[in-house]
Amino acid sequence: MMRPFAPAVVVCLTLFVALPAAAEERESCGTCHPASRVDFEGSIHAREEVTCSDCHGGDPRTLDVDEAHRGKFRSWKDRLTTPLLCAECHSDLERMRAYNLPGDQLAVYQTSQHGRSNAAGDRRAAVCTDCHGGHGILAPGDPASSVHPRNIQETCAACHADPDLTAAYDLDSSVVDDYRNSVHGRALLDEGNAAAPDCTSCHGVHGAAPPGFGDVDKVCGFCHAQTRRAFREGPHYQAMLAADLPECASCHSNHAISQFEADALSGICLECHGEDSTQAQLGRVFQTSISAAAAELDRAAELVQQGERRALDVEDYLARLEGARTALTEAPPASHAVLREPVEELTRRARSIGEEVQRELYAKLNRRPAHIGLAFFWFYLLTAIAILWVYRRQLERER
Amino acid sequence: MPERSGSKEAGKPTVLDWLSRRLRLTEIFSLLSSYGFYPAEVDTRKPLAEALSEAGSKPWPSYARWPRVLSLIVIALLMVEFITGSLMALYYLPTPESAYASTGAILREVDFGQLIRQIHFWGAQALLFVLIARVVRLFARRAYGPPRELLWVFAVLLMFVGFHLELTGRALPMTASGYWSAVRALEIVQSVPILGPATLSVLGADGTFISDVALIRFYLLHAAVLPLLAVALVYLHFSTLRTVGISARSTEQLVPGDSASRLHLANIAILLHVALGVLISLAVLATIPFDPPADPTVTVPGIGPPWYLLAPFGFLEWTANVLPRWAGGLVLFLGFALFVSLPSWDRSPKRSRTMSALLASVFLVLWLALSWYGARVA
Repeated sequence: MMRPFAPAVVVCLTLFVALPAAAEERESCGTCHPASRVDFEGSIHAREEVTCSDCHGGDPRTLDVDEAHRGKFRSWKDRLTTPLLCAECHSDLERMRAYNLPGDQLAVYQTSQHGRSNAAGDRRAAVCTDCHGGHGILAPGDPASSVHPRNIQETCAACHADPDLTAAYDLDSSVVDDYRNSVHGRALLDEGNAAAPDCTSCHGVHGAAPPGFGDVDKVCGFCHAQTRRAFREGPHYQAMLAADLPECASCHSNHAISQFEADALSGICLECHGEDSTQAQLGRVFQTSISAAAAELDRAAELVQQGERRALDVEDYLARLEGARTALTEAPPASHAVLREPVEELTRRARSIGEEVQRELYAKLNRRPAHIGLAFFWFYLLTAIAILWVYRRQLERER
Repeated sequence: MPERSGSKEAGKPTVLDWLSRRLRLTEIFSLLSSYGFYPAEVDTRKPLAEALSEAGSKPWPSYARWPRVLSLIVIALLMVEFITGSLMALYYLPTPESAYASTGAILREVDFGQLIRQIHFWGAQALLFVLIARVVRLFARRAYGPPRELLWVFAVLLMFVGFHLELTGRALPMTASGYWSAVRALEIVQSVPILGPATLSVLGADGTFISDVALIRFYLLHAAVLPLLAVALVYLHFSTLRTVGISARSTEQLVPGDSASRLHLANIAILLHVALGVLISLAVLATIPFDPPADPTVTVPGIGPPWYLLAPFGFLEWTANVLPRWAGGLVLFLGFALFVSLPSWDRSPKRSRTMSALLASVFLVLWLALSWYGARVA
């Protein structure tokens, strides 16, 4: 009678012995540090099976407080060594290869302003955990990550918009707000344009530092390649280098870069050149030709819209206007060479396409045959009605 | 007619003779005449020529006299809509993917496509205007007392069918404005308890968007069901009119004689010429735009329901804070039911003509005020 129970007894005994052993294998840190454990469990490290003890050391298998914090335990309280501790894994090239992560972040960090201050013993200088977080580190591509392109400005603002902290380093605390209101910030934050630059696009990521004089045009030119090429060909480049002026930033400012407006173009020249100077005149020529071409294209686009509403076939006009807009978009970058011909050539091309489209659409929109046909129709109608009316009167007289 | 009977006497068989030996021509003529083109009774037992000459010698009712032939414009406009609608149906594709593109193709590539669409649109607006005017006139003249109850019911139902014809038509091209104004209209339908959701479920539209199933059902309604209903109602309306006359004063009769039918035909011809002139002028001079395509995921703000539904829409919006939506819908439905059944409950002693006109004016002003409010909140 006992025989059927024998296997069950064996299973129970096995579980009795095996379960506590399995529990010992698991880390017990979360028992005393539940908040850190919750943070950590959502992190990229937890997903990749990094454990508490991989970073903190100690003995994670015991619930005894002293035992747990003994041995090679590290509290990470010293900000000066934080980058070195992260680098234990992140500078391990073999380990990072599988994640396609660079292994030189520590080296790059050490070249940054943050890294140099840290090396000099400045405990307020930003370290890895200031930007990435501590336990809840997320991958940079995760929209909830503090270093995601849309969130990075907030992360930088934590220090760079702090008036006390920035004052201590003689920095401007308005830079993040300036960026947010700039053409770049609005494109990224308001319009969701993922190609728009965030703080790291210009300052670097781990090697964050302000671009030096002579480097500004290289940084801006990474995206604005045509503008940079024209700028280098023009007279401003060498003159600014000689005068120790930050190239692009001299006219456009650094963080508060505004949307290009043709109508404000000549005003920028007056910041350095006299109102009657040939340079200011050239600025006015640029302004007039770009504004005139833009207005021409706007009028053409309006007519195309009218045509669309009248069910005209406007595909061809749309394509031609697109070409004209491309030419017009190239004109402001070309103006950085401060030469009249390239700008006038581009704006002339845009304007002539705009005028051509307008001319053709005017002819189609104001086509008269329908109206002439209507006039003939009414001529027939009135004649017929007159005859019928006379006939009717005759019939009434007969009655 | 005398000429025709003359030719018959002379022994030369005409096409009409040939046909009358094979078809019941008098019955066909009688059926067609029920649409108002020939107001006198024809004896369907006699050959056509004989029946016509007999009808021509009988007195004609006064409603056939100028300018009361105006009601004929209903059937004239319906014919214009059939012709232009059929021409467009040759190219129109009733699927959400192709509806807009095929309408665009009609306008761009088909000869006179633009003109045909414009005539179809303005014809529909004119038809609705005439149907509404007819109901207003019957109300103001109080022409719904016995025995003219059905005259009223058919006129109101015809107006109602007209609204639905326009509504289903406006969603078909899948333009942004047409689509969203149809959606607004469906929201009004949805507010009527039980009947509203049931109607929408039959249509395959849930009141917030028009699905691909709904589009083909709208097309079926617009191109087949509702036109047939309209033709049937016009027939019923005119045959009731012929039986009961438009008012007590229809005892005044036209002097009998052959010239009466000629006069009538001349009147019709003048009327049709003027109507066609106005319609084609509107089509050429006041072209309605071809809006961008509808995107069911992007609500276009500022588009209200069609103009004839602005008053119920205004009522629902106006009472939105006081009544729940379903109660507003119920009030609308009951109002419509009362309106249709007017002859059954308005049996008060005969009101003066001024009083009836005054009531009609009050109703019109109320309707316009609600429409104005509806347009403002849309």
